[in-house]
Amino acid sequence: METLAALGHGFSVALTPYNLLWSAVGVTVGTAIGVLPGIGPALTVALLLPVTYNLEPTSAFIMFAGIYYGAMYGGSTTSILLNTPGESGSIVTALDGHAMAKKGRGAQALATAAIGSFVAGTIATGALTFVAPLMVKLALMFGPAEYFALMVLALTTVTAVLGDSLPRGLASLFIGLALGLVGIDLQTGQARFTLGIAELLDGIDVVVVAVGLFAVGETLFAVSRHRFEKEEMYALKGSKWMSREDWSRSWKPWLRGTLLGFPIGALPAGGSEIPTFLSYLTEKRLSKHPEEFGHGAIEAVAGPEAANNASAAGVLAPLLALGLPTSATAAIMLAAFQQYGIQPGPLLFDSNPTLVWGLIASLYIGNVLLLVLNLPMAGVWVKLLEIPRPWLYAGILIFATMGAYTLNNNLVDLVILWVIGLLGFGMRVLNVPVAPCVVGLILGPLAEQQFRRALTISQGDLSVFVTHPIALSLLVIAALLVLIPVILRSRRAGDPEGTAISH
Amino acid sequence: MTTERSLRRGEIVLGLGVLALGLFVAIQTWSMPETVATAAVGPKLFPGLVATGLIVVGLSLLREALAGHIAHDGGLELDWPAAALVAGALVLQILLLEAVGWIPAGTLLFMLVARAFGSRRHVLNAVFGLALTVLTFAVFDYGLDLNLPTGSLFERLLGSGEATE
Repeated sequence: METLAALGHGFSVALTPYNLLWSAVGVTVGTAIGVLPGIGPALTVALLLPVTYNLEPTSAFIMFAGIYYGAMYGGSTTSILLNTPGESGSIVTALDGHAMAKKGRGAQALATAAIGSFVAGTIATGALTFVAPLMVKLALMFGPAEYFALMVLALTTVTAVLGDSLPRGLASLFIGLALGLVGIDLQTGQARFTLGIAELLDGIDVVVVAVGLFAVGETLFAVSRHRFEKEEMYALKGSKWMSREDWSRSWKPWLRGTLLGFPIGALPAGGSEIPTFLSYLTEKRLSKHPEEFGHGAIEAVAGPEAANNASAAGVLAPLLALGLPTSATAAIMLAAFQQYGIQPGPLLFDSNPTLVWGLIASLYIGNVLLLVLNLPMAGVWVKLLEIPRPWLYAGILIFATMGAYTLNNNLVDLVILWVIGLLGFGMRVLNVPVAPCVVGLILGPLAEQQFRRALTISQGDLSVFVTHPIALSLLVIAALLVLIPVILRSRRAGDPEGTAISH
Repeated sequence: MTTERSLRRGEIVLGLGVLALGLFVAIQTWSMPETVATAAVGPKLFPGLVATGLIVVGLSLLREALAGHIAHDGGLELDWPAAALVAGALVLQILLLEAVGWIPAGTLLFMLVARAFGSRRHVLNAVFGLALTVLTFAVFDYGLDLNLPTGSLFERLLGSGEATE
């Protein structure tokens, strides 16, 4: 009941005309930017961060939530019509979605994705409403040792789950951790790794790194592949509506996708990649037409797309309740919170219920707005896909440099942006996942704080991490996540081909 | 054409880079001045752990580069001159931004990046770049109260103009 009252209060905040306006602006801009090829939700949120600088926090985060959900909807349009998934969660959608578009069923693919996202988003937001307060209760029992263990687990899952080689994921993670070391040490006031550059005392901004990796790195990769890749765009034609058969084949995958997406997103288990793949495999196994999979089966769009959106809501649970980002997008949202001097976590539910519950309520509203925005207006968004690539990427870099410069009004951020951009290009060429780097950068300093706090309380005794049962079990899970694939791989050592899973 | 062999070389560079970063962090950590030992854990322990991690990962990347499987079997074609043009355009932007201001520097960036993507309609690109930078300048400097630079050159011109009046 307490939760419902809080949610009611949230709706009274989110439904004021002023906040409703920001929610509408957020979902519209989020969809528009998210539709653009090469831009996923993480970059969308990072690029639009400067726009919110002068809003008061509650409105800013209501807008952010809209951008986040909007970018998720927009991303599916790009994967279906253009076969260029903007982030790992849409890779699966692209498989059969693009095949459907090829057959002239693009409108149905977009419709099942949009309605599925609405169903999944709404159910998952409902789940978030009730799970987040439970997580807060759990979090109140956590001390620094448990927090540290939880962060290690989150870092491990983000790393171990993405990409096809553990060393590459770890390289990305540790580069992020190293970047996170730069700046003044909060506990002793000592400058670390600043190379004598005053601007680096505040540390390297996660927004600069995210924009560098996702915008500059991606543009460099796109320009270097531009001559060799042909894009196939399929126009929407024929009936826009889903047939009775489409509906009957879609609704169960929507619900099953939601069931997979939310819990996996809410656990610190690496965001949306696993639930979308699991949903695809589940639907294929349960389908009466498994032979259609890969050639435009509507279930293979409905399920993964629902899973993707449900996990997007799930990711918000640990972010709000524990201050723990488990995806690159969540990492940037956390950076946005920090810019307002707000630390998400159990205390935020007490100290600023207006913000927390206003944000959660705005997710319900945003979902409805997005359904309205996406079903009848799909044709408008499709137009955005036709922007000539030279202008699209030139524009992306204009906004990327603008975002980096306006953070602190100095050129040092632009230099960092450039260096990180080249790094991102190299990582893209060598198939190194970039999400661990972004999450490592923001979680590293937080983990260090908890680590030192734990050891200060225990007076330097490292055994705190082993004697606290919750901390120990979290660390054991993290260790197993790294070790099990290594063991499995060494068992298959005679089969080097089998280990190469390329995307 | 980037062949499998040069991709393998790229992996070696990545491994060496991570290793070098690890050594750099390690050396920097060592040479940090000792702090008064009030806290149980000083500012050195965590960087030490990160340095160790980087070195171990760098070594295993090298092992994978020399013996294991690599990304993109069969090579990956890359248009290096185009990538270099974009990277160069960004350097130019850094050098020019505060001197000539957001609008000219941004327009130039827009034109060069569009050129790198194969567009030869320079005048049209210039018009688009100009429109975009003027729009962002207006929205950000007047609407959102953020400071995109006007350019010290122009400020000096304007400043001296006012002084003579």
